[in-house]
Amino acid sequence: MSAHSPFIQSVVQGVAAIYPMARRWLHRFHGGVYPAHHKALSLQHPIKEAVIPETLTLPLKLMAGQKVEWLVKVGDEVQKNQCLAQAAKNNKKGWIVPIHAPTSGIIQAITQAEFPHPSGLTTQAIIITPDAQNRELKNALNVSGQPPTSPQQLKDILLHAGIVGLGGAGFPTFAKIPAQQHQINTLIINGAECEPFITCDDVLMQTQAEQIIQGAVIVAEALGVKQIYCGIESNKPLAIQAMKIAASKVTNQSLSIETLEAVYPMGGEKQIILELTGIEIPVKTHAIDSGVLVFNVATFHAIFNAVIHGKPLTQRLITVAGFGLADSYNTYALLGTPFITLANAGGPKAPIHYPLIMGGPMMGFEVAHNDVPVMKTTNCILVNPPEPKAFTMPCIRCGECMDACPVNLLPQQLYWHAQAHEFEKVEKLNVFDCIECGCCSYVCPSHIPLVQYYRHAKSEIKIQHAEQQAAELAKQRYEFRLARIEREKQEREARLKAKKEAVKKQKPASDSSDVKKPSAAAAAARAAAAKRAAANKKSSTSVTNNANAATPPSARQKAIEAAQKQAAAKVGSKVATAKDPRDSAKKLAKKSAAMAAAKRRAEAKKTTEATPTDAIIQTNESSHQVDVTNDNAKEDAKNKRQKAMEAAKKRAAERKARQSQQETPK
Amino acid sequence: MLTAIIIFVGLALVFGLLLGYAAIRFKVEGNPMTEQIDKVLPQTQCGQCTFPGCKPYAEALAKGETEVNLCIPGGNDVMLLIAEITGLEPKALDESVAVEKPKETAFIDEDVCIGCVLCIKACPVDAIIGATKLMHTVIQSECTGCDKCAPVCPVDCIDMRPEKVSLENWQWPEPKPSMESTPLASQYLVTEKTQ
Repeated sequence: MSAHSPFIQSVVQGVAAIYPMARRWLHRFHGGVYPAHHKALSLQHPIKEAVIPETLTLPLKLMAGQKVEWLVKVGDEVQKNQCLAQAAKNNKKGWIVPIHAPTSGIIQAITQAEFPHPSGLTTQAIIITPDAQNRELKNALNVSGQPPTSPQQLKDILLHAGIVGLGGAGFPTFAKIPAQQHQINTLIINGAECEPFITCDDVLMQTQAEQIIQGAVIVAEALGVKQIYCGIESNKPLAIQAMKIAASKVTNQSLSIETLEAVYPMGGEKQIILELTGIEIPVKTHAIDSGVLVFNVATFHAIFNAVIHGKPLTQRLITVAGFGLADSYNTYALLGTPFITLANAGGPKAPIHYPLIMGGPMMGFEVAHNDVPVMKTTNCILVNPPEPKAFTMPCIRCGECMDACPVNLLPQQLYWHAQAHEFEKVEKLNVFDCIECGCCSYVCPSHIPLVQYYRHAKSEIKIQHAEQQAAELAKQRYEFRLARIEREKQEREARLKAKKEAVKKQKPASDSSDVKKPSAAAAAARAAAAKRAAANKKSSTSVTNNANAATPPSARQKAIEAAQKQAAAKVGSKVATAKDPRDSAKKLAKKSAAMAAAKRRAEAKKTTEATPTDAIIQTNESSHQVDVTNDNAKEDAKNKRQKAMEAAKKRAAERKARQSQQETPK
Repeated sequence: MLTAIIIFVGLALVFGLLLGYAAIRFKVEGNPMTEQIDKVLPQTQCGQCTFPGCKPYAEALAKGETEVNLCIPGGNDVMLLIAEITGLEPKALDESVAVEKPKETAFIDEDVCIGCVLCIKACPVDAIIGATKLMHTVIQSECTGCDKCAPVCPVDCIDMRPEKVSLENWQWPEPKPSMESTPLASQYLVTEKTQ
């Protein structure tokens, strides 16, 4: 949908004089707000030359369980565009995009470092000391320079180039692209850039229009896309002009540059799709499922560089702006450059002792420390001095937030339940569809930080779900453990019974043969066979008894018994052959085996005897533990711990001595 | 008169038989309340309720033999849920234990561990691996923090440590109602004038 005709525009402007929200009639999605742009601040100067800072920090935002393969080690010399780390081959969790050296230098450390996140948490990172020579690997990705013909080829290049969505979400681009052709009908170049202050996409479109369009054509041809749209907000006339000129050179694709109303959040994925195609993406599905693929202009630029020149993503155009700077500017910042270095390059009016903001004023967040590095998703560093804060007042249920919400949620209801911690209701009201655009907070006359409530509710709900899953797992494991203990107990009982019976049978035999005779081995073997058979019988019958005591032995059981009898007979016959005087060696071996079995039995007995004493030790220890907690003094506990350790060592030594004593008489 | 009696006796018989059949055909095995309660319990199997696990406590609750306020890891929220399910009077947790603790997991100091397997026997969810005279360790993702292994350790090498804050479990702080609002949407952004 292109911009409205001048007549409609003028009518709306007229109505807007008495009813300001009439401007919302000019765009398709619901709600939206009109904050001051402040874009002129950073558009006054041409693109500033990149500075090479003293150190570059390249964080790998790893989640628990993700495995990464480091391709360099501390002290290595690296060149620009060299790959430093990539996903390990056995990584099965999530996606890891490789990182590359933004300039040449020496790997100073691979360590934990802070990255831009509201929590101030640290993550694994590579720290490079640049050597200021900027030696470059040409065509680091080893591409042919020809556009890929299949989606898989494109995906491979994008993965190796380490390209993620540069609009702000940072989702790996290769993972977003479908593997089959013709799944995507519409490709959208997102040049809306609706956040105030930010102009990096605007500048990129003005200066690199052809590369952006070429990048889009590369993707469109690889995926077999029918239609390419490019949406640009009406407050960027120069960018629109440049893109139109570049687009006019494209002949083999249907490409149209559309002017969009300047309304926040026009640059949201679902909002720009609705605006340009009229397709509303259903809840819980992705744009891909509706055949639409959206990338930011900067992403297309990076795709062009990767596919044609083999350049990985090591720098990005970034806006450094705000009222705290004398000269707001845009620059190609090397990834890993500290925020504060870039902010200081803009000539701060006063020393920056307040937190910088990553992203725009609507969706951005204050970083915990100002020396965090530029990431692939950092499109803006906002340098706004803190303002006097407004007090939060109670919600008056005016409904302004509801009218402003671009995803048709009920912000005041969400707030109501979120502050009462009724998270189930918050979830039912679709809090997870909230794009956290900040429109509701912006219009709230009571200055309630609504988005903060939703963010908190979202993380709380996620943790609750995780806890439920953990509880379910714990329950399963507990029940399995109980079942295992029960099974082991039954097996032990069955074994014991079998042993007793074997002993009973053995008694008369041992009475008659008190001296070692050649036939003793045979007798022992027979007894063992009988015992085994009995054990099998016992265990099987005990199991069936438990299961169904009343039923007579089943056919299966009978078969088992028959098989056992056969086996026993076989053993007997073998023993008979062993009696043959010629096989004296065999006999000897059997004898020693029987001896070993007896020894093992004796040992088993010993351990079962030992358990009661262990139990006593355990109770002693637990009472000792109570003493410790009663004392409540940490140093005391420490002493006791040492004593306990010593005691344990002594006990262990004693046990060892005892064992050796018992073993020697044998 | 007689027809009326016959009709009513007949009806009574029919319905009686129907009910009798339904009682047999749709018999509910066990107490369904047990399952419901068991679902809201935190499944740490810690035994702090004096029952040998979550299920036995749920069974006792379903029979109405015990109090609703014994689940210490569950805290106040679980107590309220139990009271709701059982219809018993909610009762505040014992004050000495009512302090809400952050989630903890067991951690074995592997240098001190002597490999006695006592903690392995004590763990209700099999979250400790190791063997006799070999070092033991805790599978952190399976540990419920029930604290059953720490008292049985003869060398006192098991610590209960609070869960580490990571990207996965980090939470946005909740804005306090009286807190000053964040200045992000502010005077810098006064709505632009309509031209």
